Amino acid sequence: MATVIPVDEFITDEWYPGFKPGYTHAPWYIDPVQTFRKQDEENFWFLDFHWPRGLTPMGLIWNEDGYNWASQLAAEQMPLPPGRGITCRLGGTHTYGSPLPVTDVREIGQRARRLERALPPFLQNFDTIWGDMREEVNESWDYFRGVDLSKLSLEDLRENLIQARQYHKRAFEIHFQVMYPLLANYVGFYSMCTELGLDPGQIGKFLQGYDTKIMETDRELWRLTTAARAAGLEPVFAAHEADGIWAALAAQGGAASTWLTTFDDFLQVYGWRTEGSCDVALPSWIEDPTPALGTIKTFLQKQTEHDFEAARNAAVEEREAAVDAARSTLTLEEQKLFDGGLASCRAANFPWWQDDHNYYIDLRISLPMVWACQAIADRVGAGHSDDTLYLFWEEIMDVSAGRRPYAGLRGLVEERKQYFDYWLQRRPTLPKVVGTIPESVNDPILIEIFGLNSHFLRAVEAVSSGGQVKTLTGVPASKGTGRGTARILHNADELHRLSPGEVLVCESTSPNWTPAFAKIAACVCDGGGTLSHAAIVGREYGVPTVTAVGLATMVIADGDEVEVDGTTGRVTVLKQAVANQAVLNPGAGRG
Amino acid sequence: MPDVIAWVDEIAPEQAVGACGAKMGRLAELLPTGVSLPKGFTVTVEAYRRHWAHAGLDDVVDAALGGLGPDAGPAEVEAAANAVRAELASQDISAELAALIGDAYEELSSRCFEINVPTAVRSSAIGEDSGTASFAGIFDTYLGVSGPDRVLEAVRQCWVSLFNTRAVAYRLRAGLHHRDMPMAVGVIELIHARASGVAFSAHPVTGKTDRIVIETSWGWGEAVVQGLVTPDHVEVGKADGRVLKYQVAAKTVVSNFDYAVGRVVETAMPARLVDRRVLDDEQIAAVVDAVLTVERHYGYPVDVEWVLDRHRREGEPVCVVQARPVTVTAPAREPTPTEWNPAAMAAKYVFRS
Repeated sequence: MATVIPVDEFITDEWYPGFKPGYTHAPWYIDPVQTFRKQDEENFWFLDFHWPRGLTPMGLIWNEDGYNWASQLAAEQMPLPPGRGITCRLGGTHTYGSPLPVTDVREIGQRARRLERALPPFLQNFDTIWGDMREEVNESWDYFRGVDLSKLSLEDLRENLIQARQYHKRAFEIHFQVMYPLLANYVGFYSMCTELGLDPGQIGKFLQGYDTKIMETDRELWRLTTAARAAGLEPVFAAHEADGIWAALAAQGGAASTWLTTFDDFLQVYGWRTEGSCDVALPSWIEDPTPALGTIKTFLQKQTEHDFEAARNAAVEEREAAVDAARSTLTLEEQKLFDGGLASCRAANFPWWQDDHNYYIDLRISLPMVWACQAIADRVGAGHSDDTLYLFWEEIMDVSAGRRPYAGLRGLVEERKQYFDYWLQRRPTLPKVVGTIPESVNDPILIEIFGLNSHFLRAVEAVSSGGQVKTLTGVPASKGTGRGTARILHNADELHRLSPGEVLVCESTSPNWTPAFAKIAACVCDGGGTLSHAAIVGREYGVPTVTAVGLATMVIADGDEVEVDGTTGRVTVLKQAVANQAVLNPGAGRG
Repeated sequence: MPDVIAWVDEIAPEQAVGACGAKMGRLAELLPTGVSLPKGFTVTVEAYRRHWAHAGLDDVVDAALGGLGPDAGPAEVEAAANAVRAELASQDISAELAALIGDAYEELSSRCFEINVPTAVRSSAIGEDSGTASFAGIFDTYLGVSGPDRVLEAVRQCWVSLFNTRAVAYRLRAGLHHRDMPMAVGVIELIHARASGVAFSAHPVTGKTDRIVIETSWGWGEAVVQGLVTPDHVEVGKADGRVLKYQVAAKTVVSNFDYAVGRVVETAMPARLVDRRVLDDEQIAAVVDAVLTVERHYGYPVDVEWVLDRHRREGEPVCVVQARPVTVTAPAREPTPTEWNPAAMAAKYVFRS
């Protein structure tokens, strides 16, 4: 009997005030974005880690243009034989995703043959293809950067917003068109290596040690940290919370002012990025440098600096040694296969792209939409420049076309903010999965990025049937063991709570979490496979990391002493924080 | 009239299996390949038949086993097998046959420049390793037998083992008559083993034919063959002879020659040898060379039991004491791809459909 986790709590919900749930206002390729319906329980839905805060009405555009357009389109163009991409349902403000399977055997066969023709040329020409795509994205980016919104009429701002959304949509078409074939190739290689008897813990190393744009940002942050220390600014950083540092430095003048100039130069290059993945509700570092300053603050707490050159050289050396060691265990025939697969995966390097593309797409692609929405907010007299992010697409189209006065929406915006906050509070206790737990999932994105492997599925089943969990296991993503105090973080805003030597426990990480890896002892994620962000960065930084643990953020409490074995995938709760003992041992403490 | 004694290096290879049974016949077949074989002879199927006729055993066996069908219960089978064996054990070998075997043994000793050379006396029944029936390990083998009387007794025990309970039960189930598998017995010099083991020219688990798998331990191979010891595990690339994997096992039991008893016995492995790697690269190459020669001879994958003589010098071959074509391979598997094909790999591993 399959385990079914009900969706009722989402059906009874009234959803965003003033908007009809289930109404779809964007084209979709296979299946539209909707709120949950009872019949959705027949399918399997997982809580998406990308938006730990939930999504504002305007933020839902990502679901429409990302999953329900771009992923579904990509799964048809370079067809995934058994899948049509990803669809989603909304639980309050939170996104649950689900694979769209192909079940007709004849069609699967035809799709497989199409893939067979299309995949090799894509991989062989990946450099050129990705280069052209990046250029296209950059060209539009430059266009939007060049527009002076203050000089546009409301009508032209509306046109600019439409363009910005089209740009956003196109960027995610590119995103999934690249991601599926790269990932399929990588997973094929990974699985073949496993079948050849190679140690799964070593396979991830074969493709490591290549610089990405995101690592470049981290390197610059460390350079700024060194400069801050040299300028004697450590006490200023230590004395203020992250959001007060800028003002404190500006007030101090002298060396602090000089440092701030350098910092501004940094921001002009690397600051055009949001703090989370593809969410219009997030500001860029330019608008709010708190995350970058907070990162430098925590870097300063670490007495030894992260030596990027040494780490990179070590990663390259480790890569070459791992490849040599692996090849030495293979027959000549197997080496030929291995070499072919490795060359293919290096020419079209998924782990590298998975980090690199965030710079060009995920972290900045929503900014032009945000700017246009904010400009419209100012123009129509909204109380706050972010208020328009609480409008749905039709509403902002009407408002900016002058068809509907903003004043009539003001009250709704306030109610919707409360609704957003209500669901933000609920996030930590939301079910990780709902609907019918399947035997297995075969969309490579869901397996490798979201960690929906059989281990995760069985863990979820065990817990929903009332099983007790004490030692947790997951995917061994980055080797080594680390021990420390657990910090349960639900989003990157909380990164400042992490002290050096602690263990980061979270649903999942994205690029804005990267700086934390320079100081943590270990990392544990609810989701994610060997290719998730945490796994890749964990290996780059040599931080023991276990992913796809399932319910780590629920079972481990903030303050628990935990030991993380990234080699075996085992997470042990050594000393439970007092408040959590009742959760783990419901009977204890009652006598 | 066929001979009762057939020397390993004298019998015509095409007659070898018919006259000498599976085990000894296959060994003799390898003579033309030039692999190193032990000196020895076979007490042939003809000898067994003469003994059978001389002792008049047909009636005894028919009386005991005649009534048993394929569904006979274990107790019934055991009782019948015990009765047959008791009868066989009480029958002496004829003086004429005993003299021929004794002469052959003395000849063997002389060929080995020894008096009362220690030997391995091995059952070698017709059809014992055929494609449809495997009697592996069911019939007797005696290691370290020396002196004509002991050899004669060991030969007789091998004959008797044709009727051990497991063999009788197996034949009943398979619908085989004992007359379909007459028992020859090999008498071969006991190679003084520094190390021995088995080698497969295809992976016994995956069935892949691009690597050779060797399992080995110190001393004689009995402890390895019977699974009494966890052997060192070696994998070698067939195309280039490169050692791909060498797992040193903790080898706690050894088959070694007990001079007082005159037999190979299993004892505790001396501490200094437990964790020591058994084969060096040169020795591995010699094992590989022997296995590949045998495989080329049969034209399909083989498993080979081999011994490394303690007097062997670098560059000399290892001695093949048993070889068997592996006709029943691992479950049929898809052909191994030879080139990286991303779509095929994705289909196989990602989109399992």
